Amino acid sequence: MFVSFFYSLRDRGIPVTPTSFLRLQQAMRLGAIRSLNNFYVVARALLVKSERYFDIYDQIFAHHFEGVELPDPDEIELNEMTKLLLDEWLKNPEAVADALGVKEEDLQKLTPEELEQYFLDRIKDQTEAHQGGKKWIGTGGTSPVGHSGFHPGGMRVGGVSHNKSATKVALDRRYRDYSQEGPLTQSQMGEALKKLRRMVPAGPMDMVNVDKTIYKTMKNAGDVEIIFDRRLADRLKVILLIDNGGWSMDPYIPMVQTLFNYARNQFKDLKTYFFHNTIYDRVWADAARYRNSEMITDFIKKDPDTRIVIVGDASMAPYELMYEGGSIYFGEKKRKPSIETLQFLAQTFHHCVWLNPNSKRAWEHTWTTDVIRKVFPMFELTLDGLDGAVSHLMSKN
Amino acid sequence: MVQNNFSRFRGANKYILDDELAEIVNVSMALEMPLLLKGEPGTGKTMLAYAIAESLGMPLIILNVKSSMKLVDALYQYDTLTRLNDSRFSDSSREVSNIEEYIKMGKIGQAFVSDVKTVLLIDEIDKADTDFQDDMLDVLDQMEFDIMEVDKTISAKNRPVIIITSNAKKDLSDPFLGRCNFHHIAFPGEETMRKIIGVHFPDLKKEIMDACVKNFYGLRKLEGIEKKPATRELINWIRALKADPDFKLSLLEQGNVPYLGVLYKKSPDMKLVGNAISRSRR
Repeated sequence: MFVSFFYSLRDRGIPVTPTSFLRLQQAMRLGAIRSLNNFYVVARALLVKSERYFDIYDQIFAHHFEGVELPDPDEIELNEMTKLLLDEWLKNPEAVADALGVKEEDLQKLTPEELEQYFLDRIKDQTEAHQGGKKWIGTGGTSPVGHSGFHPGGMRVGGVSHNKSATKVALDRRYRDYSQEGPLTQSQMGEALKKLRRMVPAGPMDMVNVDKTIYKTMKNAGDVEIIFDRRLADRLKVILLIDNGGWSMDPYIPMVQTLFNYARNQFKDLKTYFFHNTIYDRVWADAARYRNSEMITDFIKKDPDTRIVIVGDASMAPYELMYEGGSIYFGEKKRKPSIETLQFLAQTFHHCVWLNPNSKRAWEHTWTTDVIRKVFPMFELTLDGLDGAVSHLMSKN
Repeated sequence: MVQNNFSRFRGANKYILDDELAEIVNVSMALEMPLLLKGEPGTGKTMLAYAIAESLGMPLIILNVKSSMKLVDALYQYDTLTRLNDSRFSDSSREVSNIEEYIKMGKIGQAFVSDVKTVLLIDEIDKADTDFQDDMLDVLDQMEFDIMEVDKTISAKNRPVIIITSNAKKDLSDPFLGRCNFHHIAFPGEETMRKIIGVHFPDLKKEIMDACVKNFYGLRKLEGIEKKPATRELINWIRALKADPDFKLSLLEQGNVPYLGVLYKKSPDMKLVGNAISRSRR
């Protein structure tokens, strides 16, 4: 029964790991779980690692444990589970051994087949041993809270509701807040971005410069004189401009999310703005592109060494890019065509790149892409492209 | 058996604990896993560690994470300067050739070498970079670290109870999350808030409490506020009201909110709230 619970969580997109599942079993062995209420709380703390998923967890939990007859896990699920556990074991044997309560060395002596069988047995064990759990689900009356305590809407965390009718645009504004959506684990992207750094001395003089100290001390004929330096710190400024509107960007949302998440972790001084299709007079700091806008002309006040990274598919109707008043939104009074704004950005900042999630082959077929390519160096949003973009951003011209 | 370890933590003097959190704290202690707490500022993440330390009678060691911090700073420090100084003037009781005399334990180190079990609070982990976080969890997992300078391994005498807080500015890495238990402390509801106020002001009149709580939650509902007032602000506000001899309950009931500055710390917020209040009064 717990195995299928585990799978329900995974199916709905909560990243639960087998190790944490085994930890839950361990908690049960220790006697930490005495009631359904207990189980609800403990399982959440062990399995669910972000409040974003609390709501989904509540729903699944209610669905799963609300007095339903719980079927035994079938063979396929057990096999799946074993496979996952093997995966986990390969990655992190220590944690798995720990969670199973056995020694790592003992497990290492087993052949792969034996190991698989062992895991399978253990999982069966766990599930069978806890079939007894059915009983305390049945006698839910003894639990202090009871099922009704867990209603799907149970806990609501954060979340701001945007009043859509208030938006003045004629077209439906489909926005995505890239920062809010699920977790992404394409760590290579982080690796590629790591090269994007500029180390400069900053902060208090608190690091001993050994070479200079020795030199000075020798000069003083052995009288110690200590020389301090400032530490090196990453002081790179990055502005990330993301196209987050329109159907054409939808397929690339996961990729852009990854980029966004890593960028946010990586750079101390990162500003993110959003736009739709192309940049006109202003860009928005909020993903809904509604509340917080900033004039592009104000960007001139920023450090010209700032690295500008624009993410977008650069495909739109030509008039959006070339003509005055090309904006597809009402009420956005335009003075100059978007292409001039783009040129302004490219001239103001020495280091700009445009990352395009469309593949390179498609670029030539979109007229606007070709035009923008002439303004900004354009790279594919792939690992290779990212590498190229990073080296372009770090070049000294 | 292990059962004895359970349900030891039941809240402390000035800390109102909900059952859920108590459960999670106890399970984390039994599984000997760090507990990661997230939540709005002012929901008592840091206070929890104080409360655990107080109720279990363990010493509390606090590591305040800073953005520039390196892992080694949290483990130990090799005081080269003092050593250099001693070697030059040789007027101290320390023996210069013995490097160990110049090793000072950092906060995590202190928790490891302590003779009694301690509560280790790692506050605002999200300020540090990802490498720091992952490396730290390695140390906390293995419960030992090396002091390179003297080639010695320090292992924990007692596994400390580890509480980690995060203000959720950044997401923590997956391996990090995998090794912690997680809890999100929601902002307390009115019921809980009354209890919290009751603990801090046992003699507060019920009418004042009602008016304060009602006003407070009303103010929190205002849109567009950058930093919403939290528990700490509410308690300070009530303290301010109590200290003011001119304060009358009728003021609050009319919709007046004195001492806005105690509740709101940012000037745009103040302005926004001031406008909202004067509008609602009309």
